[in-house]
Amino acid sequence: MNPTSYLVLATILFTLGSGGVLLRRNALVAFMSVELMLNAANLAFVAFARMHGALDGQIVAFFVMIIAAAEVVIGLAIIVMIFRTRRSASVDDASLLKL
Amino acid sequence: MIAPSIEYSALLPMIIVFGAGVVGVLVEAFVPRRFRHAVQVILALAALAAAFVQVVRLGGTEIIGAVGSVAIDGPALFLQGTVLVLAFISMFFFAERRIEAGGNAFAPAASSLPGSEEERVLVQQRALQTEIYPLSMLAVGGMMLFPAANDLLAMFVALEVLSLPLYILCGMARRRRLLSQEAAMKYFLLGAFASGFFIFGASFVYGFAGSLEFAEIDAALGARVGQEGLLLAGVGMMAVGLLFKIGAVPFHAWTPDVYQGAPTQVTAFMAACTKLAAFGAMMRLFYVGLGGIRTDWQPMLWAVAIATMVVGIVVALSQTDIKRMLAYSSIAHGGFILTAFVAVDELAIAAILFYLAAYGFVTLGAFAVVTLVRDAGGEATHLSKWAGLGRRSPLLAATFGLFLLALAGIPLTSGFVGKLTVFTAAFQGGAMPLVIVGVLVSAVAAFFYVRVIVLMFFSDPAPEGPTVAVPSVWTTAGIAVGAVATIVLGVLPGPLLDLAEQAALFIR
Amino acid sequence: MDLYAPMIGLIILGAVFAVFSVVVSTVIGPKRYNRARLDSYECGIEPTPQPVGGGRIPIKYYLTAMTFIIFDIEIIFLYPWAVRFDHLGVFGFVAMVTFLFLITVPFVYEWRRGGLEWD
Repeated sequence: MNPTSYLVLATILFTLGSGGVLLRRNALVAFMSVELMLNAANLAFVAFARMHGALDGQIVAFFVMIIAAAEVVIGLAIIVMIFRTRRSASVDDASLLKL
Repeated sequence: MIAPSIEYSALLPMIIVFGAGVVGVLVEAFVPRRFRHAVQVILALAALAAAFVQVVRLGGTEIIGAVGSVAIDGPALFLQGTVLVLAFISMFFFAERRIEAGGNAFAPAASSLPGSEEERVLVQQRALQTEIYPLSMLAVGGMMLFPAANDLLAMFVALEVLSLPLYILCGMARRRRLLSQEAAMKYFLLGAFASGFFIFGASFVYGFAGSLEFAEIDAALGARVGQEGLLLAGVGMMAVGLLFKIGAVPFHAWTPDVYQGAPTQVTAFMAACTKLAAFGAMMRLFYVGLGGIRTDWQPMLWAVAIATMVVGIVVALSQTDIKRMLAYSSIAHGGFILTAFVAVDELAIAAILFYLAAYGFVTLGAFAVVTLVRDAGGEATHLSKWAGLGRRSPLLAATFGLFLLALAGIPLTSGFVGKLTVFTAAFQGGAMPLVIVGVLVSAVAAFFYVRVIVLMFFSDPAPEGPTVAVPSVWTTAGIAVGAVATIVLGVLPGPLLDLAEQAALFIR
Repeated sequence: MDLYAPMIGLIILGAVFAVFSVVVSTVIGPKRYNRARLDSYECGIEPTPQPVGGGRIPIKYYLTAMTFIIFDIEIIFLYPWAVRFDHLGVFGFVAMVTFLFLITVPFVYEWRRGGLEWD
């Protein structure tokens, strides 16, 4: 199996995700972009697993999903906490610390 | 298909620490509030001590266990033991209750709104934050797994397991809640971003090698021609994830903000232990898994090492906040360690192991001193407030001076021995330019550390200067251990150096 | 074709059960209509109008979402185990029980701390 097209798609997703983190102002959106990056990695892992005829890449995808879920929980907790304190989820509003 | 076998004996230290984290969560759920703090502290300290005993028992073990995903060998055990000792001391600082009258350094309930009625009631009840203990146990468990991880998946899981509790811990400060919450969000967003790079890079390396295990990746390096692009892109992105954890330039932007905003006790814990675990993981990945293409990744790390040393020190010079200054200093120290990192041999491994241990004790002690210098608003971290501290509280200022001298690498402190071994290793590994940069940067660094000492001892105290809190036996003991370790490792580094040299062999 | 027999059987069984439940409950169930029963969600929650112009969603939704995600996603690990259950034997069973216990611990914590109360 030739994984090229899957890889191209994964790379596009990853680029979109990392671009989103860097460009979007809303912490929730930035965070969703991180999840997109993780899913791009999942796609690449599964495509490579198929190419090599091995299963371990698919298992990695499972683990990445779990970790993404854990990250969602932690991240939402932190963002919600900030939101309740400041009534805003904009990354720019959080500016007490020097950038 | 047969069921896999797990080497429980070799994994026991990690199982103990993770188990303590899980039991800690149950303690939170079922033990009445007034007993919780005592139970959690005892549980945490007992688990760390028990795990350390197990690490000592395992000394000399060389096993690749858990179906190839965890390697228990010299470097792993050395770093696990060091993490356990440093975490043990960190728990002393977490348990301190005298500095904040009636509470510890953490918000009674991290989810309560700052300034809200809920928070006021909790403060009045003298409610203690106890969730920090299970959280830090889970983080310690991750830090122990990170340098022992022997495949890409275990390494990624360990990376997240150590990071996620730290993100929360950063947001839990009792004072300056907004600053702390912001630090947590920055650390989280950037940390998640970096781990995204790590796992995407890992997928490329997997695609190249067809296996997750480092040994098989190493074997695949020479075998396949024509796919180097895939491999190198993957290695580069994985390096981003790991260098972020280390705080190397250009992935250091989070370090000063997070170190400043997080509760200082957490900063101490994080600065000492995360760096250690991350360097352990990086050594295993690059030496065991990618040692065959060292000529490809060495130039990249050369550049990173130089940038890290220079930026760390130059920016540190202009800092006016003591926590930010220590943060940039920690960045620079990451750079010093990287100089040895590019020299791939046993001497380098031993030097890095020793440096990490020595640096850990100094950092813990230095940040702990910062928790004691206070004014009405909490910790007085502005440098100008530290003027004349040596006249008001000579012992404390002298201790801090000792830590600064160690950070500067003045002889008779652990920092000097650490730098000497690291630069020797780099020199023998052929990284002469790096050594020259390192020595020059160290000279500049010494100037600015000494500047703080001069400020403390030879300038007049500010009229409304900070007070020095009288800590309980916890913090006192912690700082004392840090100071003693700094001097002992500086005067008599032999035993630990020998241990590091014996440990400096990765199992493949 | 034999291969598909159990599957088809299962589909028929499911359809029969669904039809049976609906029919039986309409035939023998009590018929008390009130406003709450006729709402979109008949579990007693007042349906809130969709926020107009980017309104805020209550934090409780996020908290529930967090709980849901953890317990939902963890099921993933049960699938590979279920496929190879007989081959993994006692080891797999013990590992899965340990895993489920570990999942239960935070759930217990959340319950004890009042995270499941919707007020």
